[in-house]
Amino acid sequence: MTSTASPATAAPADGDGLDRFSYDDGIVRLFFWATIVWAIVAFAAGLFVAVLLVVPDLTFGLPYLTFGRLRPLHTNAAIFAFAGNALFTAVYYSTQRLAKARMWSDVLSRLHFWGWQLIIVAAALTLPLGITQGKEYAELEWPIDIAIAVVWVGFFGVNFFMTLKHRRERHMYVAIWFYIATIITVAVLHVFNNLVLPVDALKSVPIYAGVQDAFMQWWYGHNAVAFFLTTPFLGLMYYFLPKAAERPVFSYKLSILHFWSLVFIYIWAGPHHLHYTALPQWASALGMVFSVMLWMPSWGGMINGLLTLRGAWHKVADDPVLKFFVTGVTFYGMSTFEGPMLSVRAVNALSHYTDWTIAHVHSGALGWNGMMSFGMLYFLAPRIFQAPLWSKRLATWHFWVATVGLVLYIVPIYVAGLTQGLMWRAFDDMGNLAYGNFVETVKAIIPMWWVRVLGGTLYLTGAVVGLFNLVKTWQQRPSSYEVPVVAAAPLSKDYQDPPPPKPRASAVPEFAKRFDVWLQLAWHRIWERKPLKFSVWVTVAVVVASLFEIIPTFLIRSNVPTIASVRPYTPLELAGRDIYVAEGCYNCHSQMIRPIFSETERYGEYSKPGEFVYDRPFQWGSRRIGPDLAREGGKQSNLWHYVHLLKPQDIDEDSVMPSYAFLAQERIDYRKIAPRVEAAAALGAPYGDELDRAEELARMQAREIVASIVEQGGPDATVLDDGERIPLEETKIVALIAYLQRLGTDLYAQPPEVTARADDTADEEVDR
Amino acid sequence: MNAKSDQDLLLDHNYDGIQEYDNPLPGWWSGLFVGTIVFSVLYLLYHHSGVEGRSIYDEYEREAAEVFEKRFAELGELSPDKETILKYANDPKWLAVGEAVFKANCVSCHGDGGLGNVGPNLTDDYWKNVESVEDIAKVIANGAAGGAMPAWKNRLSHPNQIVLTAAYVASLRGKGGGGGKPPEGREIPPW
Repeated sequence: MTSTASPATAAPADGDGLDRFSYDDGIVRLFFWATIVWAIVAFAAGLFVAVLLVVPDLTFGLPYLTFGRLRPLHTNAAIFAFAGNALFTAVYYSTQRLAKARMWSDVLSRLHFWGWQLIIVAAALTLPLGITQGKEYAELEWPIDIAIAVVWVGFFGVNFFMTLKHRRERHMYVAIWFYIATIITVAVLHVFNNLVLPVDALKSVPIYAGVQDAFMQWWYGHNAVAFFLTTPFLGLMYYFLPKAAERPVFSYKLSILHFWSLVFIYIWAGPHHLHYTALPQWASALGMVFSVMLWMPSWGGMINGLLTLRGAWHKVADDPVLKFFVTGVTFYGMSTFEGPMLSVRAVNALSHYTDWTIAHVHSGALGWNGMMSFGMLYFLAPRIFQAPLWSKRLATWHFWVATVGLVLYIVPIYVAGLTQGLMWRAFDDMGNLAYGNFVETVKAIIPMWWVRVLGGTLYLTGAVVGLFNLVKTWQQRPSSYEVPVVAAAPLSKDYQDPPPPKPRASAVPEFAKRFDVWLQLAWHRIWERKPLKFSVWVTVAVVVASLFEIIPTFLIRSNVPTIASVRPYTPLELAGRDIYVAEGCYNCHSQMIRPIFSETERYGEYSKPGEFVYDRPFQWGSRRIGPDLAREGGKQSNLWHYVHLLKPQDIDEDSVMPSYAFLAQERIDYRKIAPRVEAAAALGAPYGDELDRAEELARMQAREIVASIVEQGGPDATVLDDGERIPLEETKIVALIAYLQRLGTDLYAQPPEVTARADDTADEEVDR
Repeated sequence: MNAKSDQDLLLDHNYDGIQEYDNPLPGWWSGLFVGTIVFSVLYLLYHHSGVEGRSIYDEYEREAAEVFEKRFAELGELSPDKETILKYANDPKWLAVGEAVFKANCVSCHGDGGLGNVGPNLTDDYWKNVESVEDIAKVIANGAAGGAMPAWKNRLSHPNQIVLTAAYVASLRGKGGGGGKPPEGREIPPW
């Protein structure tokens, strides 16, 4: 691919055959500030939800401040706002220099920047309002998802690839490879995990249900870690670390091998999030072995980072930038060892649903993404503001505060995860659960949660100090930035690749000689000057690997044996389920009992794939801050649920659940139930009467529930402070109770006598 | 790490000043990579080549059978009658089984030690759905008052758990020290 410099990006050649142009550092400065500002927002949100766990009353009864609504705000802010802007900063600064070309379109650059910030603001507004798709890290509703696709592909992707097309450096450096993998794969993941049927402007239903939805979600979820938090940051590392250390990269061969193995293997790993669940075991086993095989491809990046510093270690002592980078790469190595370890089924049986996972992701997010981002910001500040860093001492101080904060965060949370995991499975010598009451296992780890608050505070403090230092640096900028003119020759059309390498031994068969030549990787050098071909192969790698898992998950019927007694939710239960999703209950409660004896003793019969066929979205959860709810239906009385939702501490004083009294004050919009039922029917739920009488049936069920609450000694209305009296059957709490009372009960229900699905009962697999 | 850069061969790559060495892959890296691949193949062959008894469900059944053996082998199948319930209500070893079930499932409604919360106090002499001790087992199994008290027969993994939990509940009577939720229902004679 050759380029004729476009007039927009380059001055005419000056007689010496060179293009003269300048880099767009204005866009880098924009993303730079967004990175540090959103970092502080994301850390502050994280600190707040961490405090909520130790001081549950801190919501002041407000729906907008509950853990269930704000934890997604924290994760989205950390991933898409902080890490997102950091990776854009890295891409916009380094791509221009590595391609020897200004970004193709300044307009697209700005559209990308402002579009992305608008998306973040939209997330910050909708999530506290309970507008969510209810899938982790994919919470944002469909209009925002469309905006993300447009900004990512239409603005960022087009701009990036057009810049490559017009590059003046013939070969693409490894950082660019990682950026290519990032842009392509994130687009694929985002689109296919967010295929939904909109119900209205702010509510949608996924086209996948239950097991399949869970599979797609964790294919997405894990690869969001891979291609949003790993590959672009490896690109960042490959540019900024050798620049800061002024040392050559350790091994080009290792770059090639670990790049391709990482891209190809990562994409399979998602199902390791679903060990022991209703996902077929073959799928989670594939997820596990590919995670184990991912260990060395990940460490290839760490080795290339750390060994690049050979001969430059004395600089680490002096330079805060390198301190951040070394720590970041080290934490990358630790997390990418721990990840494969956690994916091993036996380890996962203990770690899953506990804080161990939380510690793991924070060693990645704070250790790897955080440290790499801050290192980059300190590296960039003097260059893009054209003034020396205001205080190197303060930057070093930031490094140490962040490191201590990081350790104080993850160590107690590891202890908490192990403690709680072991308590959940502890039996006395008679085989009885040693800690039968779930709250006991929460109470035991609250001291660790307090230490986490301290660690998080320190990490946040470091970032605030960083912002101060960077603003001070910015204040020293010249009155107008100097814009250096770069001169570089356009790519000539008559480039000849160097002659192919010779086999290193002559007395061997022909195929061995060919293999030896292949091993010398000259073919890859040719790929590196063909961005289109390179991108096509990246796409093939991720798509083919994905299809190997996706196609069987969707097509093999025995993966989800039908259970005849499992029926769609009633209209009121459907409305209640939407409340469950909106409140983000899945952030603290799983709905997936694993076939592990300590678990069935605690929660009841393990979950079957066929029980989730009407669950859109699936709500299996990933962390048990509270107990599993998969068999909650009928386990407590309606009155109990009412009392418990109003104030959980009235049931158990050690509960860390916030009050949901507001649900007894907010009204159900009964008119919205019919379209909701229609959407479920459109996706295959076999409704009959419910389609015509959704509202009427919902009201009937609500009255029945209220009647039983009254009979058990509860009230029939909520009286507000101003004396207004809202009949309980008009309030959301009734719909939520209806849903909770349905959970997990169908397994024991009588199958309907005549059903449209009666022909499916042959392969029913319900035992016990 | 030693600086041995003079042995490193620099490639003629130069990207914005970044150069690359032509160093080979570290041997331990390649070795471990191949090792993880071999492990993966063996793992899949072991668990997914169709040999019976190696699935997570098989493991589960074995684990459950083992615990039930440990717990209930010497008891056999208990019958939920008055005599049996009262016998175990006075047997600390077996009360622990009932207590464990009670802690896992009942305290959220009946409170710690059965002092009552949303559900009634189980330590006093007043009962709503129980007239004699075997009724406790019936109420646990089938529920009462239209679902106010849930039915547990599908939820507990072994029928003996119902009998032993009934025994534990029976043993709570009189142990509340007069505290807890005020009495509900009518006074019934001692067990």
